[in-house]
Amino acid sequence: MEPNPDSTAPMRASYEQQWLLDDGTPKHLDPLANRPRRLSDVGKETITNNSVPTTKNKRFSGGTNHATTSNNSTPAKKSMKEMTKAERRELQERQRAAKAVKTTKTANNVVTPSKKPVQGGSVANLEGGGGGGGATSETLVTPIAHSESGVTVKNIDPKPKDNSKQVALFSHLEIPKGANTSTAPKEIHPSVLVLGLHFSEFKICGANARCIATLTALQKVIQDYKTPEGTTLSRHLPTHLSPQISYLVNARPMSVGMGNAIRHLKWEISTIDIEMSDEEAKHLLCEKIDNFIRDRITVADRVIVEYGLQKIQDGDVILTYARSSIVQALLIDAHAKGKKFNVIIVDSRPRLEGKKLLKRLVDEGIKCTYTFLHALGFALKDVSKVFLGAHAFMSNGALYSRVGTAMVAMMAKEKNIPVIVCCETYKFTDKVQLDSFVMNEQGNPDELVNISTTMILKPGYLDEWLNKPDLKLLNLLYDLTPSKYITLVITEVGMIPCTSVPVVLREYKPMLQ
Amino acid sequence: MTNSCEVRINDDEQFDIVKCYQQFLKDDPDVSMSIAAIESLAELIKHSNATTLSEFMESLKDASQKLKSSVKNSISLSAGADLFLRFVTRTSHDVTNFEACKEHLMNSGKVLVQKAAAVREKIAELGVQFIKDDAVILIHSYSRVVMLLLQKAAAYKKRFKVYVTESRPSYLGIRATKLLCEAGIPATVIYDSVVGYIIDKVDAVFVGAEGVVENGGLINAIGTYQLAIVAKAANKPFYAVIESYKFVRLFPLNQYDLPTHTSDLLAFPDLENRESVPQQEENIDVGDYESINPTVDYTPPDYITLLCTDLGVLTPSGVSDELIKLYL
Repeated sequence: MEPNPDSTAPMRASYEQQWLLDDGTPKHLDPLANRPRRLSDVGKETITNNSVPTTKNKRFSGGTNHATTSNNSTPAKKSMKEMTKAERRELQERQRAAKAVKTTKTANNVVTPSKKPVQGGSVANLEGGGGGGGATSETLVTPIAHSESGVTVKNIDPKPKDNSKQVALFSHLEIPKGANTSTAPKEIHPSVLVLGLHFSEFKICGANARCIATLTALQKVIQDYKTPEGTTLSRHLPTHLSPQISYLVNARPMSVGMGNAIRHLKWEISTIDIEMSDEEAKHLLCEKIDNFIRDRITVADRVIVEYGLQKIQDGDVILTYARSSIVQALLIDAHAKGKKFNVIIVDSRPRLEGKKLLKRLVDEGIKCTYTFLHALGFALKDVSKVFLGAHAFMSNGALYSRVGTAMVAMMAKEKNIPVIVCCETYKFTDKVQLDSFVMNEQGNPDELVNISTTMILKPGYLDEWLNKPDLKLLNLLYDLTPSKYITLVITEVGMIPCTSVPVVLREYKPMLQ
Repeated sequence: MTNSCEVRINDDEQFDIVKCYQQFLKDDPDVSMSIAAIESLAELIKHSNATTLSEFMESLKDASQKLKSSVKNSISLSAGADLFLRFVTRTSHDVTNFEACKEHLMNSGKVLVQKAAAVREKIAELGVQFIKDDAVILIHSYSRVVMLLLQKAAAYKKRFKVYVTESRPSYLGIRATKLLCEAGIPATVIYDSVVGYIIDKVDAVFVGAEGVVENGGLINAIGTYQLAIVAKAANKPFYAVIESYKFVRLFPLNQYDLPTHTSDLLAFPDLENRESVPQQEENIDVGDYESINPTVDYTPPDYITLLCTDLGVLTPSGVSDELIKLYL
């Protein structure tokens, strides 16, 4: 429900709140009348909110927001009835919350006793202006739920909480709900359930690993599948697979490679002869999946490593960012082949993936330097080549990869250092993307708070971020590197410039199918 | 070149691919290295006594390898050889009868050579449109296809003047200038170092190439890269005129990533040893610098405006498209 008001009318809403709101309902706001300007700015971006101190202001803003919208739009009439019910519930909760705040005082630093009456007032106000305020029950309920959850976590779905804390520019990106096995439909295969958990907790990450894991899980699903009476495998199996896939997507948005692999699988299913027996067809499909993994990922990786070796010479200083399985394989192989080179691993918070790579390379006896992204300019001084991994390649030659990659590529290009990307062709997509905003993935913002792994920061500096109305955390997972910053793409079909991505897609399509 | 005798004794009694290749080059001064390579490989088929297809393919691969290692700068040659090998692998699948297959390949090799001869004509025809009347053209070194283009433009009664770089160390620019003057085109030789001085007077730069690499960059006589940089800095169009059989599956990252680059190229002299040898103040021996200087360089695609080829006028990225299609 949130994205809509968000994307369509945030500006207007803020305008209205700034200038019109005070006239319409001045009395409710007055105790903190001056403060809200700012806060309401925060609040109206996403109508729900969660933090105790601002609740009332936001609630107003939320309420008035809806009031204005419902004034403008007719369809609010029907929901009125519903609303009153919701409202009642809401009032109860609110009172409970007020009580909780009063008694426990656990609303900590931000809630001061003086605010409590205001809160009560706000309740009353909402009560009074119910018709206007109640355009959607949820938006109004959630603030309370969270004012409560700020104190003691209640059973309310945590998702809206995240929404209110989303950075406006990225509010269209859903924060994944996470894999919830308890609410999963019955038909979800256990292996898919497990995989979903792995995905949502980033136990399995990296485009290749995820793709292989997905295909293997789907293989198990197919093995355990039985075509119901009165239908055929090629017709029914896709409908059986879709909930499995959507379960995985809920756990974490699908990667481009996974999408391509699944599309390929569905295509294979659709070509299965109706006459074929179940057993035979299942066997065939499993074989096809194995072939896909072999041809497009494992063997492709080996070919890419072979090509990559040609580009590593003695005396090279190779810079890589975060961790890519293929770059890791390439560096280890080059070292095994006796090439003499140094590696600089650039890493960044919060995932610190480069550490894993660092450990592997050091174990192999490769000379490494480990540094963070902010030291990139310094690290680039002696670098002769930059090797990067890829999550996906867009049709316009743009690289979609771990956030921070674009920075590395741009800096390297600026210094005239060749930027080499290793990427299997199954990660190529015919989509075109111009920036990192339209499509991206948001990670759990709490990752930014949790800095426990190594560095010791002022404890609790960000801990309270949920209660700070002006503070939003953004944990993007990917970014887009424009094609002009990429010198070379190494794929299993050869070394190509990144502008040839659509050509590979076009030319190899008939062969792959 | 040096070990051609050995080659003949060790590997192939009747036929020496390297000699054959050199003969082709000598017979026809207009033939390019790529085409000579194709011709000599086609000639090899005639002499091949292989009995199975795989043996036959092996012998072809060996021969092309031998050819490549026989010359110092193998870029143009290997483009032709690779193209022919690619052609053989593609067509040999279709034929069941081995003898017929050989026959077929031999013929098609000849066809390929004939086609190649006609290609330059086509390119010149396409390229003429880039020469405006009253233009001042700058060319580098001597390229057959560029010469043909200019002659064709003159034949269309376009009036233009040509600056030709001297292009050390081959001095082929002088030859090009002579030929142009003979054809009635006003041409002047300039030093390679004059390029920056003259560039503002120039309307377009035309170069040929020994090879075009995967990303659309050029491998050409030394000096092309700096010419391209100067042209880019002065916002002058930089056109490359190339036969498509010179497209080569190579992706250099920079100058030192070329197959022609060796570690002794541009090495610094060992001054410590030299000190022991007394030298006159006036005439310090700088060593044999000509032999350690590179003869080709790589021009990245960013500096190239358009490539005029027999496949049409391409942007640099179009080269990769064609190569991918070819090596699919």
